[in-house]
Amino acid sequence: MDFDLEWTPEQIEFQAEVRGWLANHVPKLKDHADPAALTADEYALQRKLGRELGAKGWLYPAMPSEYGGGGLDLGMSMIIEEELDLYHLATPPYYDTGGRLGSASIMVWGTDEQKQYFLPKILRGEIRTWQLLSEPESGSDLASVATSAVRDGDDYLINGTKIYVGSNHGAEYSWMIVKTDPNGDRHKNLSWFMMPMGLPGITVEPMDLLLVGGERGAASGVKNTVYFDNVRIPASHLIGGENNGWEVAGTHLEIEHGLLRSAVRSDEMLDRVMNYARTTTRRGLPLTDDPDVQDSLVDFYINSQVTRLLHFRNFAYRAQGKQLTYEGSQAYLHQKRSALSKARSILEVMGPRALVSDPEWAAENGHIEVHQRASIVEQHPGGTAEIQRVIIARRLGIGREKREQPGQLPSAENQGN
Amino acid sequence: MDLTLTEQQKMLQATMNELRNRDYTKETLVAIDAGKEPALGHWQSLASTGILGSLIPEEFGGAGASLADTAVIYEELGRGPVPGPHFSSGVLAALVLLEGGTDTQKRTLLPGIASGERIFALAITEEDYGWGPEFIQTLARTRGTDVLIDGTKLFVHDATDATDLIVATRLETGSIGLVHMDKHARGVATRALPGFATGLSEVTLLQALVSKSSIISSMEDGWDVLERAMRKATLILSAYQVGGLSQVFDMSLLYSQTRRQFQQPIGRFQRVQDHVIDVVNYLDAARWTTYEALWKADEAREGAIEAMHTAATTASESYYYGCNSAHDVHAGMGIVREYGLTLHTKMSRTLYHYLGSPRYHRKRLAHALGL
Repeated sequence: MDFDLEWTPEQIEFQAEVRGWLANHVPKLKDHADPAALTADEYALQRKLGRELGAKGWLYPAMPSEYGGGGLDLGMSMIIEEELDLYHLATPPYYDTGGRLGSASIMVWGTDEQKQYFLPKILRGEIRTWQLLSEPESGSDLASVATSAVRDGDDYLINGTKIYVGSNHGAEYSWMIVKTDPNGDRHKNLSWFMMPMGLPGITVEPMDLLLVGGERGAASGVKNTVYFDNVRIPASHLIGGENNGWEVAGTHLEIEHGLLRSAVRSDEMLDRVMNYARTTTRRGLPLTDDPDVQDSLVDFYINSQVTRLLHFRNFAYRAQGKQLTYEGSQAYLHQKRSALSKARSILEVMGPRALVSDPEWAAENGHIEVHQRASIVEQHPGGTAEIQRVIIARRLGIGREKREQPGQLPSAENQGN
Repeated sequence: MDLTLTEQQKMLQATMNELRNRDYTKETLVAIDAGKEPALGHWQSLASTGILGSLIPEEFGGAGASLADTAVIYEELGRGPVPGPHFSSGVLAALVLLEGGTDTQKRTLLPGIASGERIFALAITEEDYGWGPEFIQTLARTRGTDVLIDGTKLFVHDATDATDLIVATRLETGSIGLVHMDKHARGVATRALPGFATGLSEVTLLQALVSKSSIISSMEDGWDVLERAMRKATLILSAYQVGGLSQVFDMSLLYSQTRRQFQQPIGRFQRVQDHVIDVVNYLDAARWTTYEALWKADEAREGAIEAMHTAATTASESYYYGCNSAHDVHAGMGIVREYGLTLHTKMSRTLYHYLGSPRYHRKRLAHALGL
């Protein structure tokens, strides 16, 4: 057994190349505690970086090069991820769910023509895509979506409402799951579309939420409600065939339920809270002298290690071509739950300072206050903690003779990370 | 990055699995626990596999294996859980002798440990219980070329099965002396402590006399020797706890599939599922913190101490809470002794404080992190 991320000479050379390239191409980006503060100009810079990465195949390095990915192995992908992490960025350096999630579904279920049409745009960073899944009446029970698509000649007419969608600064495409057979059996009545967001009849309206989180440079900032009023979309944008949408969604849901979390990212909040405790005094004594503070920090540290190791295990297994079953959801569940417990540790250590965003008194430039909110917000995306438990139970075969099989993924070398 | 067992480790695992299925069936383990079979009934068979010398270099009759290899053995033993002095003798005592013993002590004692002929127990803790030198009150006074020892050692693991003891004493200089003694020497008495714990005993030392040459740590403070030995031994103990918990998980999963209530397997109820999921979450947290810590210790990596304290905390807490969750799954059946779950519950409690409780390791972790 070996936990080393040891790079071959070839990979070390690649690392130097990536490092050098990033030093010349990563723009100076303001460190916003709240991603909602991202301006249009800053977003444009992020997109530019995305296109530049995309041109080199580094935006989605593990995706096949014939479709605009890098065709690189997981080790090389991880090097890119590690190097971007030093800038508190990730691939992609802005919110885009298309490259890992949507494109995986297209890869598995799309026709050759669809793959040629959609994938290069996404994987080279030319377009940004949102995912349209939840609806006002369909959350955890995603298969109950009511947004409808009715065939009309060579087109479909879409009507309905999607919520918790996207980010600030718009998107060129969205991928969505809709109902195509109102009388069909559950799971056999849905279809999956790639939706051009400029079509007439689409209205996007920002939601007022506690916070919209995300990861590193990929934070979304804003979530929207998207209304579809008789939106006419060509049937060529239907992926995977009519009434097969649940299978198509199974691919990206499988990845979202924990698979895509990177195993290499540092725990930024751990660094921040340790830094705060080490540099703060209370009544003239270092905060770290307080045994209660030590307890809280050690709790935080252990939680952080377990989350990291579960993701690392998943990454290592996947790199070896081992099929994961319950492990993705387990890591995701641990990450969600420990976010809450970390937030409490921080509140214990910092007191009310953890809760204020006032420029004079906020700790760590406001990142702490944002994390207090983010820890709550993190509980539901990609399936609630309860849904992760349902998946774990089915995959382990708790109370079942047969274990549930995972959703179909692109072949191991094409999974991205 | 390769999180799989080596071929050699797979063979070790298979050997131990075979031994467990032959000598330590659930029926046997339940009988040992009830005092109906002797704990050492299969000791020769266990020793013949060579596992007691796993960490002992070949020159002293052992296999000279790594901590990770040894952990594979102990994870399998933990699945029983197979009780007995294998850990006290083959791991803890062997490491103490390796870390602090003279060449003569190593040459005379280690081969006996490796062969199973000698069985060592470590008498460290006392009534004023804790895993630090400040808790050692047992006195060792010099009488010419001898040392005279007085005190009571409490909650000693495996002393009743032992042939030899290593006793932590307070020397006249104020430092800690680790003293080797024949358990059957005059003035030494051991008594098993009954209750909800496996293998604990009291060791009374009343003017027990040994030669000065029996002090293992004559060149340095004995606690430093013990500390170094414990850092390694703790990891093997964590692996044993991981093994225990993986068995608890297997039992819980199977029970969720086979036990029927309300006309269906109880595992169809999400309330029950949650308890089984808790067990697997505890298990994997313990497993991966332990494996990483083993790797870091074997490879002398940066952060090995932090990883060890993280693993020790996580494994002890996980085994403890994991058993609680398993009882939630099993309800009444869980407390039927012959079912076997209580062997683990009892072991999870017994090991909770051994070589330092989670609270102790958290404090040490804070220290190691520079807090």
